[in-house]
This record gives sequence, C-alpha cells and structure tokens, in this order.
Amino acid sequence: MAGSGKAHLRNNDNVILRVEDLTMEFPVGRKSFVHAVSGISFDIERGETLAIVGESGCGKSTLGKAILQLPKPTSGSVNFQGQELTTLDKDALRDVRPAMQMIFQDPASSLDPRLSVAKIVDEPLKIWDRGDEMWRSNKVDELLNAVGLEPALVRDRRSYEFSGGQCQRISIARSLALEPLLLICDEPVSALDVSVQAQILNLLQDMKERYGLTLIFISHDLAVVKAVSTRIMVMYLGKVCEISAPDELYSRPRHHYTHALVSSVPIPDPNVAARRTTLEGEPPSPMDPPSGCRFRTRCPGATDLCAQEEPQLHEVSAGHYVACHWPRP
Amino acid sequence: MSDPQPMLSLRDFSVSFDTARGPLYAVRNVDIDVADGESLGIVGESGSGKTVLSRGAMGLLPKRAAHRSGTVIYDDHDLSEAPRKELREYWGTGMAMIFQDPMTALNPVRKIGSQLTEGLRIRLQMSKHDAKARGLELLHRVRIPDPDAVMEKYPFQLSGGMRQRVMIAIALACKPRLLFADEPTTALDVTVQAQVMQLLSELRHEMGMSMVIVTHDLGVVAGHTDRIAVMYAGEVVEIAPTKRLFANMQMPYTEALMKSIPRLDTPSGQRLPVISGRLPDPTQPETGCSFASRCPYVTDKCRAEAPPLVEVSPGHSYRCWFPIGGSR
Amino acid sequence: MMKAIWEKLRKFSIPTLLSMTWLTIIGLIAIVYPLLSSTDPKFVYENDLGVGPFTNGHLFGTDTNGYDIFRELLHGTRLTLLVAVVAVGVGGAIGSLIGILSGYVRGKIDAVVNIVFSAVLSIPNLVLALALVAVLATAPDVNSTVSNWRKVFVVVLALTIVIIPILGRIARGATLSWSNREFVTAAKSMGAKNSTILWKHIVPNVLPAVMAIAFLAVGVVIVAEGSLSLLGVGIPDGNSWGAVLAAGRNDMEYTPHVMYFPIICIALTVISCNQIGDVIRQSLDKREARI
Repeated sequence: MAGSGKAHLRNNDNVILRVEDLTMEFPVGRKSFVHAVSGISFDIERGETLAIVGESGCGKSTLGKAILQLPKPTSGSVNFQGQELTTLDKDALRDVRPAMQMIFQDPASSLDPRLSVAKIVDEPLKIWDRGDEMWRSNKVDELLNAVGLEPALVRDRRSYEFSGGQCQRISIARSLALEPLLLICDEPVSALDVSVQAQILNLLQDMKERYGLTLIFISHDLAVVKAVSTRIMVMYLGKVCEISAPDELYSRPRHHYTHALVSSVPIPDPNVAARRTTLEGEPPSPMDPPSGCRFRTRCPGATDLCAQEEPQLHEVSAGHYVACHWPRP
Repeated sequence: MSDPQPMLSLRDFSVSFDTARGPLYAVRNVDIDVADGESLGIVGESGSGKTVLSRGAMGLLPKRAAHRSGTVIYDDHDLSEAPRKELREYWGTGMAMIFQDPMTALNPVRKIGSQLTEGLRIRLQMSKHDAKARGLELLHRVRIPDPDAVMEKYPFQLSGGMRQRVMIAIALACKPRLLFADEPTTALDVTVQAQVMQLLSELRHEMGMSMVIVTHDLGVVAGHTDRIAVMYAGEVVEIAPTKRLFANMQMPYTEALMKSIPRLDTPSGQRLPVISGRLPDPTQPETGCSFASRCPYVTDKCRAEAPPLVEVSPGHSYRCWFPIGGSR
Repeated sequence: MMKAIWEKLRKFSIPTLLSMTWLTIIGLIAIVYPLLSSTDPKFVYENDLGVGPFTNGHLFGTDTNGYDIFRELLHGTRLTLLVAVVAVGVGGAIGSLIGILSGYVRGKIDAVVNIVFSAVLSIPNLVLALALVAVLATAPDVNSTVSNWRKVFVVVLALTIVIIPILGRIARGATLSWSNREFVTAAKSMGAKNSTILWKHIVPNVLPAVMAIAFLAVGVVIVAEGSLSLLGVGIPDGNSWGAVLAAGRNDMEYTPHVMYFPIICIALTVISCNQIGDVIRQSLDKREARI
C-alpha cells in the first residue's frame, strides 16, 4: 500500500480543498530526513466530513497542519477554493486563515491558561478587529451558547478550571468565531473519556450543520470517526492506503492495513472480544521507510512485487479506492 | 466472591481529601474482593474515584492529604493501618502497578536497562549479572523485539506501545501476585491498545497473577476480565461477572456507559447516545441516588433515598431502585 | 479594604510574612531615611571610638573611626537596594528580551544566544563582576582618581551583566516550552501576527517564571556587591552594607560587632528574597499542575 496516485481525485465545482502530491520532510541531523508525509493527494467537497485515520507517526497530524501551512509543506500543492496556498506570501496567507480553523488533541495545551474563557473565544475576533466591543461580547456569548456552555457561568473562568470535555467545547467555540469554511479537527476526542467523546462528536455534527462547515477529522480510532464522517482516508507511514465511504470501508475493507485497524477496535462484548486478530509489531521508522509498499513489512499478504513496486490507488468499486497489489476480497 | 480467601479484600473502604470547599469524598464505602488469579475491571468516568480506589488499596496515596477508612486485607495481612515501611514490603513482590502515561512514569534520563534491573537488585538482591539476564528475559516476556538493544535505550527513543511494555516488564520484575493497571491503554493507538491488552491477558495466565484493570472504556475490558465493577461518584454501582454484566446489566449508568461507546456496527451519520449532565460535586454528597441527576429513568424516590447495593444473582450486585431488568 | 488585605495575608506562612515584613521595612528605610535624617552618617563620635552595641545610645555600637554603625547601615540601605534592584531590573529586562526572542525565533540565532549565555554562566559570578569592575573602573592615568559615582555605576553595570544570562536563560527555557503549546499554533492558524503571539501569549506566561528567579537574583546581587566591597573594588566609603562590612574588616579583632550587623542585614535580605522567590515558584508549580 501505502501508495500514491490520483485516481480518487474529483473534478467538480464543489471541491473546496484539493491537495496534490503533498510531501513533508523534516531534517534530522545533517543528512537524514523524517518522511512524515510522502506524496499524498486528496480532495474534499463542500459539506463533506473527511476522516483521516492512522496510527501515531503515520503523518496525519502533520498533514493537517501542512494544509494550514503550519509550517509550509516541503513540496506539493494545496489548493483551497481555487487559491494555491503554498506559493502565497505571508500577508496573503494571513488573509486566507480565517476560512480554515483547527481544533487540537490536548484540550489543556490548546488554551492559554492565563486568559479567561471570554478572552480565549474573543481572541480571533480581536485579531481581525471584527465589530466593536459590544458586538464581540455578544458574539462570544452566542458561540459559548452554541457549544453548550452557559456564558454567564464560564466567561470569567480560566481553562484549567474545566474538564477536558469542556475545554474542547471552548476550543470549538473559538474555532467557529471567524465562521470558517473548513475545520480541521486533530484527534479532538482521543484525550477524553468514552462517555464524553460522544458529546463532543455530536456537538461537532451540530456545529457542522449550523455553520455549514466542511470537516477534516483526524483520528487513530476508526470507531470514533464512523459516526461523523462521510468519507474516510486511511494513512500508513505517510502514504494513503484506502479511501472510501464509511459503511463500505467497515463492511468490506480492501486494504490489509484497514482490515487490521477495523479488527483492533475494541468490541464491548465479552464473547466477541476474545477472538480478535491484532496487528503484530510496530510501524517502521519514517526515517527509512520500506521500499515499494510501505505496509509490506507487517502485511499478511505481502509478496515480492510489494517490495519492488509501489501500489497506486485504483478504484475497486464505485467511490472506493485502494492502493494495494493484492487487495482483500 | 466465591473464593473463601480472596487475595485482596476491601471492606467499607473510603477515601476523602481536604479541599478549600470542605472534604471531598473520592471513594465511599466500597466492598471489593480480588480472588487469586482473577482479573477484575474497574470502570468509570474521570472523577468517579476509580484511580483513587486502586491507589488507596495499594497504599500509594499521600498519608497527609488523603484520609482512608475501612479495611484493606491483602493475603491475610491487614494493611489498613500499616505504616509505609511495612507497605513497601508488599510493593513490587506482592502488588505492583502500571500507569496510564509510561512517558512520565519512566525516568527520562536513565536507560531502560538500569530502570528495569533496579528493582531486581534492590528487592531481590540479585547480582548485576543475574539482574541483567532476568531483565532481558522480562523484555522478551513482554514481547519486545531485540531486548539487548532496548536495554541500552532511553525512554524517549521508544514508541508509546514499547514504553508501556517496558513499564509492564518493570512491574513484573519481582513477580507480583497482584497487578494494578491504571488506564494502561488510554494513551495508546487503537492497534497498540489491542496488543497491550492481549499481552496483559497472556501474562496473567502465564504467571498466574491477579489483575485489576482500571479504565473509562467498557469496551477495553470486555474481553480481558472475569468480573467488572462499575464506579460512579465514588461508589460501586454495579458489580458482576463480565459475561453476566454485558448480558444482563441492571444499573442505568452501566447501560449509559455501554451505549456511549462508539461502535463499528452502528450506521454512520447517526447521533451518538450520550450521558447528559456531569458527575455530582464530590464535596456535596447527594441524599438520594448519586446518578439521579443524569438518569433517564429517575423518579422522586431516587432523589430522596439512596439505593442500597442488592444482589440479584450470585456475584451480581447493583444500586438502583428501578433496575433495567426488573419491573419499572 | 483592610479586611481584604488581611484575608490575603493570612494565606501566607509565618516565614513568608516575616520575609515580606523585612523587605518592606528596608524598602521604606531606603526611600525615607535619607529624606528625614539631617545627620551626616559620617559624623564622628570622638568620645565613643570603637564602643560595643547598646553603649551611650549607639544601638549597634561604633567603629574605630567613631562612626555610628546603626546610622551607617540605615544610610547604606538605599545604595545597597538601589544596586540590587537596578541590576536585577535592567539585567532581567535585557535578559528576558534576549531570551524570549531567541527562544521564540529558534534556529541559528538561538543557538548562538544559548552558547553565549552558557559561556558567561560558566564564569563564577564574582570573578566575572571583579573582572568587569577592574576593566571599567580603572583610571587611565595612575595619578588620577576615579569618581565615586563612576565606581557605583560600574558596580551596577558589572552586576547587570552578571544577571543578564541568569534570567535570560530562564526566559529562553520557558519560551521554548510555552511556544510549543498548541494554543500558540492555534493563534497562528487564526492569523495572529508573531508580535501579537509574543505579547499576548508568550510574555504573560514566561514573566512569572522569570519573576520567581529574579527574587533569588536580588540575593545573589547583594552578596556579590558585598563581596566586591570586601575585595576593595565595590562601593566606597561605607555607603552600602557591603562597604560598611569592608570598612570593619580592618579592625576585626578589636571591633568584631562592626562586621556582625551588616552581615545580619545582608543575610536577612537574601533569605527573605529566596523565601519570596520560592513562594512565587510554588504558586506557579501549583498552577502548572492544574493545567
């Protein structure tokens, strides 16, 4: 797997973001590089929720930040609403920023502990000098209400007085202040209790409908993205394995890695849980990725071909693309 | 439970902390036994008292801040009032613990090898050579490939899953009879979670030890425990053999926890069931059922009077006036 | 109003309250004493040469020149504190500025700054100060003298240079850690300018850490200033505690009390500063633990 290719890209007016051959490498020492993201292409249509799923170290968070040019990718193109972001200068890029916002994994680290909740949510409005004091204050209240927090009770408190789930609500309120088109959620629920995860996932769904958002949802947990996504892209070691609509992907994963991910989701049933298959070993180092298909070192179906030739993404059924020489039936 | 001589037995066990707003009741009147060779899951949300319970049972809570009451009997020894010096005798060889975040639980500036053999050399008075041999064997046992190389590495050079394996190896170094695992997989990827849980189960059988797994995720412990205790607001609200609990849960909170787990077999694009509201303020104990404010089936009786722990079938108890299986 | 202050003070421990009291007292003395006192600190009591404490109205006694030690110490408080506060204030400001900028920008600039800080820190404080004073306060012509004000200025300058890398390094370290937090990335993604991020997010979080160490640095400076005086290159003529101490050194075997009292003043001040610095650091740690 872990292939390249652009067979899955769509060409219509609804595409809001189109990423092509995006590569991100970080220098390590004098000569070597971490190949965090290697030639990834994908697109998102307006109103879609694209889930990007993979293990830690597969480059999914780096990819999310690279879309925002934080930092700029090593090579490749990021086209947002017809505008090429990788070549924009600092000021032009700044003008695009309000349309793309991000939510982070660690709720505590993503909020400044010295600022009150009102100040945190107000920050983007202030940066862009939106409205007057009065208007901004009302807007902050409206946003806090929208994410299910009582403005009068929370406005003047600091982030460390809140639980993880509540911090994530504050983060969401802040990210919506500038009314973005695209919201990138980087593992927004993996630091939360299971019982709170569902609340935040539902909230994101509500916000998506209310504000007409397009979402990129980054997660390591297929079960979590199931409920919220309209399309899922599975990543392994900086490459795309499989792209499909969720129901198809879960019922019939074609890539061996996707299959392993699906079967490692814990099932809350003592009778089923005992006979699960798990993926052996750990991903190889992104400093020296395997030749050909990057998953071949852990793949049960790998052959010589997989070591020699990198598989390309190809359509196996309508809207379902796989980068594998020997896809599962 | 049925075992006449449980390995660990807590009776009327409570822990409270002093805070600016008065005493905070973290664990309230818990009775729990862990039998020899048994695997017990303790499940609850953050703030339910599950971590305090496991640390309190081991005697790891700071004596000055935490007020413990009730009895803790480990292997016929009453540890309730035991001074730290005596408790230390049991740590490592009797009871051991692994933590949620292996990065902070390991010393960042010492090699894995020295952290692993430390306990062996101090507790079991092994020679340097023997301790190293045993260390390698332990790393091998927790399925770490190339143990020789790992002994020479620092924690930051290992992945999260590998670090957790090292933590498990350290905990197992002195062959404990009871292993507490506090959220052992929460910080890990789903694929690695599955590996680590699998490993813990296998090790338990190989070494014949008892295990207490503390987690917020019912799904994680479903296939790896004999019994599960569900905790809410410092109390055990339901306890049952795992299969019976999943087949026949009585307490609405258990049901709500169960339903909130994201599953692969629910169709996409649906709203997920949630437990509305929040845990009650632990400094203000409720008069009625602690779950009353969030329970979908709440009645006036629930708000007025706290339900006692009642047993429906052997080993299956719950706290609820109107259990799900019963007549409502 | 008084009640609110009282409530706030009650939260502190006894040693902290004593430290605050001591620092307040010497602070007031430094400001007020020279305004109130019409007496020359160098007034010579010819009949009371080198008398012990509590003699003839001399609370701390006199030295062999007939100077009243108590009065000298009251008078010296101003310059002692002035040197300490200015050195730490200016040194801290410059150090923080360099540290925060270099920690935020990173890259080559940061590497250079880090090496310079480390190099300067590797020289013992006193040796560095001594070397600076020796270079800066030496008159070019052997026969001309260096004015007292220039001597004071040079001492302050030398101690400021000692402080810059101490506090600069703290600021740099804190900046490195805070600028890695995701709220900084979040601010960038909102389109905040670097200047806004530095001013709104980095500085307010870094300064408290610098403050805690700055109190410790005040102690370091006071001791260093005293040591310079003892070595004969500090503030001249008994105008600071260190200078009083240095003046008493010559007659140590006859009038040891001349040395006790400045030492006690220096020690109490250093201990108080350390105590306050610790309290600030602990309150920071508590907040960090909650984050």
